[in-house]
Amino acid sequence: MVSKKVEKLLLKVQKPGRYVGGELNEVIKDKRNVDVRFAFCFPDTYEVGMSHLGMKILYSRFNLVDYIWCERVFAPWIDMEKLMRENQIPLYALESGDPVSDFDFIGFTLQYELSYTNMLNMLRLSNVPIYSRDRTELKNIVVAGGPCACNPEPIADFVDIFFIGEGEEVDLEVMEVFRECKAEGVGKAEFLERCAKIEGVYVPALYEVSYNDDGTIAAFTPKGDAPAVIHKRLMKNMDESYYPDNFVVPLVEIVHDRAVQEIFRGCIRGCRFCQAGFIYRPVREKSPEVINEQCKKLCMNTGYDEVSLSSLSSSDYSQIVPLLEKLTSWCGEEKVSISLPSLRVDGFTDEIMNKIKTVRKSGLTFAPEAGSQRMRDVINKNVRHEELMQTCATAFAGGWTTVKLYFMIGLPTETMDDVADIAHLGQDVVETYYQTPNRAKGKSVRVTISVSSFVPKPFTPFQWEPQDTIPTLHEKQAHIKESITSERVTYNKKLTYNYHDADTSFLEAVFARGDRKLSKVMALACERDFHFDGWNDCFSLQKWLDIFEECGIDPAFYANRRRSFDEILPWDHIDYGVSKQFLIKECQKAYNSTTTPHCRLKCSGCGAAQYGEGVCFEKRQNMV
Amino acid sequence: MRNVRIWFKKDYECRYISHLDLNRTMLRALHKSKLPIWHTEGFNPHPFATFPLPLSLGFRGINECMDVKLEDDSFDIRTIPDRLNSCLPRGIRVFDATEVIMKAGKVAYASFTIRVSADRLSSSVVTAQLRDLLGRESIEIEKKSKKGMKTVDIKQGIRSYELKEMLDFAQLDIILSAGSSDNINPQLIISALQRENGVEYDVDITRNDLLNSELELFR
Repeated sequence: MVSKKVEKLLLKVQKPGRYVGGELNEVIKDKRNVDVRFAFCFPDTYEVGMSHLGMKILYSRFNLVDYIWCERVFAPWIDMEKLMRENQIPLYALESGDPVSDFDFIGFTLQYELSYTNMLNMLRLSNVPIYSRDRTELKNIVVAGGPCACNPEPIADFVDIFFIGEGEEVDLEVMEVFRECKAEGVGKAEFLERCAKIEGVYVPALYEVSYNDDGTIAAFTPKGDAPAVIHKRLMKNMDESYYPDNFVVPLVEIVHDRAVQEIFRGCIRGCRFCQAGFIYRPVREKSPEVINEQCKKLCMNTGYDEVSLSSLSSSDYSQIVPLLEKLTSWCGEEKVSISLPSLRVDGFTDEIMNKIKTVRKSGLTFAPEAGSQRMRDVINKNVRHEELMQTCATAFAGGWTTVKLYFMIGLPTETMDDVADIAHLGQDVVETYYQTPNRAKGKSVRVTISVSSFVPKPFTPFQWEPQDTIPTLHEKQAHIKESITSERVTYNKKLTYNYHDADTSFLEAVFARGDRKLSKVMALACERDFHFDGWNDCFSLQKWLDIFEECGIDPAFYANRRRSFDEILPWDHIDYGVSKQFLIKECQKAYNSTTTPHCRLKCSGCGAAQYGEGVCFEKRQNMV
Repeated sequence: MRNVRIWFKKDYECRYISHLDLNRTMLRALHKSKLPIWHTEGFNPHPFATFPLPLSLGFRGINECMDVKLEDDSFDIRTIPDRLNSCLPRGIRVFDATEVIMKAGKVAYASFTIRVSADRLSSSVVTAQLRDLLGRESIEIEKKSKKGMKTVDIKQGIRSYELKEMLDFAQLDIILSAGSSDNINPQLIISALQRENGVEYDVDITRNDLLNSELELFR
């Protein structure tokens, strides 16, 4: 619902459909009949935010509770933001059209570090003070969750409560406490203290940090009763876990415009650069029966004719073929197609291919991540060169002609030869196409190699590693290009090479492993109208470097410094169920190019078995 | 196979979605409704629907239509509005489903109600500005076409109009050429007005009816 004032602006901006709400299945309640109003803010555009599964799950879950009304808020694109500022229109929620400052909770999901400035900007557009300490009343409680909450420290001064781990239960527990406090007339400080007792809740204001002379952390001390370590929350039984049978169906096209069905959480693989592979442990699957039923309902209620099976690595679902059989038994009749993203190189079999082939033949995407076998062993990717070629041959024989390959540069121990091998691998795939006898006739192949820069992340075995400096990354990017043109020239046009900007990766590395000293940098960035740093339209590294300099902070301290195993890391007080000892062991194995088998082959003793559920307690095939 | 014309209003939030988005929304609703609509054949079967005259983003439409083919000739088409409305966002409301009387290509005119106002101008001034503009021999405007910019005289496309001064806006009821060959978008009149007077106007445009070359209601 939009006000008359907003309506006047809508015809002056691009894609006004993202600012109006009114979609099929949006939840409208009477605000007089609810006790808690929750503004669910996604710090990016409507099209990006509406594609996010976590938001869909929590939106529906919250709204199931009678006394809660959860509404959606997205970051207005720069044209709309400008007009809103000029016309003194504060940020509003799509369902009611009410200003965000009216809400009890202002919740952010933090999916990537470069959205931090959007979070602060959205608070500012709402006329809500950005610093937690400046919001003194029991209202506008700013909460945040999502993967970036695993190192909350760079934004600890702004957020009242972080949710650590999966939010389905803990968020509701906090809202219940809020409702009690409101009824009792209790203030914000007392509310926060009560919340800190809930498992999975981190209240940064209840901790003090002291630093050594070299800038590293000396001590991290809880005040009062606050727990010394905050343990993550997780859903133990995925079959019984809440899943929406309905999505808000956008009026305008969004990034992932289809039904999404979650099939499991976590990943068995343990690729050493991958944060998701560690923080979502242990792997917990839904049964094929439950998935099938949820899928059906979702398609019926939304009208989507495409459903995507979502997980970190779809082909690792233990019953993938039976599941696809179940789904295809009705999908054809109902004219619903299935898409299976996040396929592993070694998971693309004939059987799977034939099941998803009834779907459109868009390009296939695989992520070998590194060019040389040595490098893939270092990162524990556990994909062999022959497997990749075999998979590509299977795809080419099945009629595919477009393959996209994702890689990373700047990985620990990487040499220029490893980098050149990225180019060689791309060329090998092109050659495989022409060696595949039953490939699509008369068609050319298109292989794209897409290269991003490695960002060391908390809770991974590489959390102590320095990131390559920007000049080194540029050198490596250029080296790939040279390696393509110098050899096997005939394949040039079939091979496309692109790479991600190293500047943004650098900033990402600073925030990912930053500490509380960065909050003044963030605040200054907010004051200077920074927003949409994840978008090339807006990002400027130079402007950031200026701010770092003004604040007397060296960003290289966070991004490019090798940390020692005994340093107190800014996120050490947070527990994701994976032990530091395990991460150290994995890091040392990486240096020796030793791989670790995945969870279904052998337990590596990471610590996630403490939850008593999931893959840790599956019967292993080699033990039967 | 039976051709059916589905009539609907597009307003409120749905005013702000483009024709492509409307198309997508309609296809999803048709799919969800499980009405016996003929689907395209091929790799990605989807319900087949065409729109005799797309509506621009930002316009309200109170008598819009979409053509579909029914696979079941004996299907009771009076049930279509309710079935579809339960699958559509509130901004799109289906109110009728009829036989197709005129071919889509017969659309020759469309009638609009345009409300024009400006922050610093009274409605009598805006009315006078419009009267002045519309009273001219020709109203030339630069229009983007496939072959670059070209000048068109939109005056030729105005079939008739009526101008009223209201309390806080000027109301223009106008019939304009429409269809695939000589379509005049009412927004062009506003652009001309803006160019003439150097003023940013607030406009609210409603498309009322589609008409054939005899100015009969398109059915």
